[in-house]
Amino acid sequence: MASGPASKRSLIIALCATLLLSFGSLTLTLVLGWAPKLGLDLAGGLSVVYKPTTQASKADMLQVVQILSNRVNGLGVSGASVNLQGTDVVVSVPGATNAREILASIGQTAQLLFRPVLCKTTTAAKLEPFTGASLPPCGPQYSMAASNLGVSPNPQSGAGYTINPVQPDPSFSTFPSTPSSADLASKAVLLPATGNTGERYILGPAQMTGTSLKNAIAQQDQAGAWIVSYNLTSAGSALWDQVAYANFHGLVAIELDGVVQSAPIIQPGETAPKSFGGSGQISGSFTESSAKNLAIAMQFGSLPVRLEPLTTQTVSPTLGHSALVAGLGAGLAGLLIVLLYTIIYYRALGLVIVLGLGVSAASLFAIISALGKTALAPSFDLAGVTGLIVSIGITVDSFIVYFERLKDETRAGRTMRSSVDRGFKSAWRTVLAADLVSLLAAGLLYLIAVGAVRGFAFFLGLSTLLDIIVTWYFTRPLVTLLGRRSSDSSSNFSMAAGIGAEVKHV
Amino acid sequence: MSNSQEMVPSEKWPNGFIRIYRGLTTINFVSRTKIYFAVSVIVIIAGICSIALRGLNLGIDFKGGTAWEVIATSTTTAEVTRAVEAAGVSQPSVFILGGSTVHVEADLNALTGTDLTRVENAVADALAKIANKSGNQVSVSTVGPTWGGAVTNRALIALLVFFVAVVIYISGRFEPKMAISAFVAMVHDLLITIGIYSIFGFQVTPDTVIALLTILGYSLYDTVVVFDRVRDNTKGILNNGSMSYSEMINLSMNQTLARSINTSLVAILPVLSVLFVGAELLGATTLREYGLALFVGLMAGAYSSLFIASPLLAILKEREPRMIDLRNRLAAKGARTVMSARSAAELAGGGGSSQDASSSKATITAKARKQKRR
Repeated sequence: MASGPASKRSLIIALCATLLLSFGSLTLTLVLGWAPKLGLDLAGGLSVVYKPTTQASKADMLQVVQILSNRVNGLGVSGASVNLQGTDVVVSVPGATNAREILASIGQTAQLLFRPVLCKTTTAAKLEPFTGASLPPCGPQYSMAASNLGVSPNPQSGAGYTINPVQPDPSFSTFPSTPSSADLASKAVLLPATGNTGERYILGPAQMTGTSLKNAIAQQDQAGAWIVSYNLTSAGSALWDQVAYANFHGLVAIELDGVVQSAPIIQPGETAPKSFGGSGQISGSFTESSAKNLAIAMQFGSLPVRLEPLTTQTVSPTLGHSALVAGLGAGLAGLLIVLLYTIIYYRALGLVIVLGLGVSAASLFAIISALGKTALAPSFDLAGVTGLIVSIGITVDSFIVYFERLKDETRAGRTMRSSVDRGFKSAWRTVLAADLVSLLAAGLLYLIAVGAVRGFAFFLGLSTLLDIIVTWYFTRPLVTLLGRRSSDSSSNFSMAAGIGAEVKHV
Repeated sequence: MSNSQEMVPSEKWPNGFIRIYRGLTTINFVSRTKIYFAVSVIVIIAGICSIALRGLNLGIDFKGGTAWEVIATSTTTAEVTRAVEAAGVSQPSVFILGGSTVHVEADLNALTGTDLTRVENAVADALAKIANKSGNQVSVSTVGPTWGGAVTNRALIALLVFFVAVVIYISGRFEPKMAISAFVAMVHDLLITIGIYSIFGFQVTPDTVIALLTILGYSLYDTVVVFDRVRDNTKGILNNGSMSYSEMINLSMNQTLARSINTSLVAILPVLSVLFVGAELLGATTLREYGLALFVGLMAGAYSSLFIASPLLAILKEREPRMIDLRNRLAAKGARTVMSARSAAELAGGGGSSQDASSSKATITAKARKQKRR
């Protein structure tokens, strides 16, 4: 940078420009009514991180983001965002007050699988962990194969057909349901029926998936019960006929995200398999909303991969607000203690630190508020608050490094006037070396880490960068100007007193 | 020399604080290396034993689990525990922060999908009832068993990359031996902090991991400032020939002691404020987790910058043939081993050593020896 002592004029210009820029932008921010975009933990809201349970391509994940965005926006909430971070999808809805409902509708992965029913079971009060590699076969008398059910059309009976009663297989009742990570299309699974009835199904490998569906709609049948009607794609139509043929007079379960929505008997009213002709109906114990949700999921929302929530966080706005108060309270209290300490230690020079922190704080508020208007910066959360509180130490330290150098210089017998220039030269190199290490740490953390770490790193890095700027454009001109004016005052509050210097008379 | 002692006016030798303030301390950091290293080694070994025997108290973020939080005035831990157990969760851990923030944690890893949602909502409703609020006003965070692992893995990768980058940076800007010393100091801080977390059973969360990374950055920042001064002072040490490398390091550390103490103080004061004002008084759980790790780590960092990094650098440098040479030359000359900060400032500052300054050099040296004997 500049060699030799800078002219008084350029110092004054630098100082005024810094003060004007920082406090001017603060005023502008306040006038515009801008404020930092608060993160979830401060504003309240909802955030979920989903991970695909199986290997997924980048294209698949981009499609997932698109579909989830549609779903979230379809709920009519504002400010929501869906992002891809690595292979994880991060959904955040700040300020959400009905988190539970939102979670229920975006959470469903809507992966539809059609599986043959092998047998049924109940749920025992106490579940034993299941360690086997695959499920054992159903007991012969409990099998729900067509041969065991003996379905025969009978227009006289209420249901239009008769069926042998087949009991649930008790040997499965203590097994836990298959977790979503093991719920693979190619494997036999044990899954609960919808509605927490305790009824569960042992199902064979999937024979068809939701991709064979063209569209679906929720409607009421003649009796007023809610059903879901669907049309199949041309390829799907042939496949479905094959499935129906293979399971004729047996049960095919329709699985949505690990829950059996319905397990209808295939064509119980017919004596021989008959083509569906590209359309069908799912009936069951649907309510209006569950039928509509299923239809929407089938039509729009079938995700290319199954998602599993890695972490879900809902923060109530009241709790968020109290965390904001706590964070600000801690920050202000910390700031006050530090300022008090520096004023006691450095006297008049302590006031330079106070003003310097003021410049930093004003610029930070303006920058963070402005960044909040863009999508560039992570939102300001508690981790960010902590990053800023830590940076108080780093900012004040730059002053300390300089002032301690000043002490050395004056003690070596130099005048205050020459000390401020020489002291700054060496302090500047130290501050630069040390701040670059901090920036290095912040930058790497921001690039590599996930979650709250990024916010923390961002705000730490931002304030460190600002520290370098403040040291050059604020501390240097101000202290240099003060030093040139400084006379050997015996006052307790002179600049010389601040660094304990025995200044020589000149 | 003994005569000049009496010439020193008494007010020139006030208490320890003023000496630190004026950079006039003559603490011999380098020669007591064994004691400092022993203290660290004992703490680190205790920590490693504790980790081996008791392990770390991992939070729900690592094990997976669910945490609920609600603001409820006038409730007790017992009442909350009863309500949560009635909602179908066994062995919840309940604590109340800042007088009104009720925090409940439980391991629900056995449940999946709809079962999990049902139990979570049941507990949230039970807590809402106690707090006289609606279910949506209870904060719930659920963590799958693999999430914490993902966060930690990324943090570990960040850590490794950071270490490599730092060693390269310091090797380039300063020198490789300084990079090694700084690296050892960072590993020291890491081990001490983890050990203390295990010994006291503090809960480890991803926030702790974040804080740990910051500490390393900060400790390094602190070390770099001291090394910067060492580099300054040792410029041309071989030609100047009045002090050995160890003595120069010692001098540099004494010169920067006021700054080191101030820096540590201004870093630790806000962190204490985070711990006590933010977490205990105002009840922000996250702040407590950051604050605790930062506090422990900053203490370890302040210690390692002074007592590990620089002494280690001295040991490493003194093994260089040219430094051994210098030391032997100095020994042959019968040079003094203690030098004042003031005189060194002149040395480092280059020139400007007036007559009265050089006479005070001898004075202070003699005085320092007397201090040391006491």
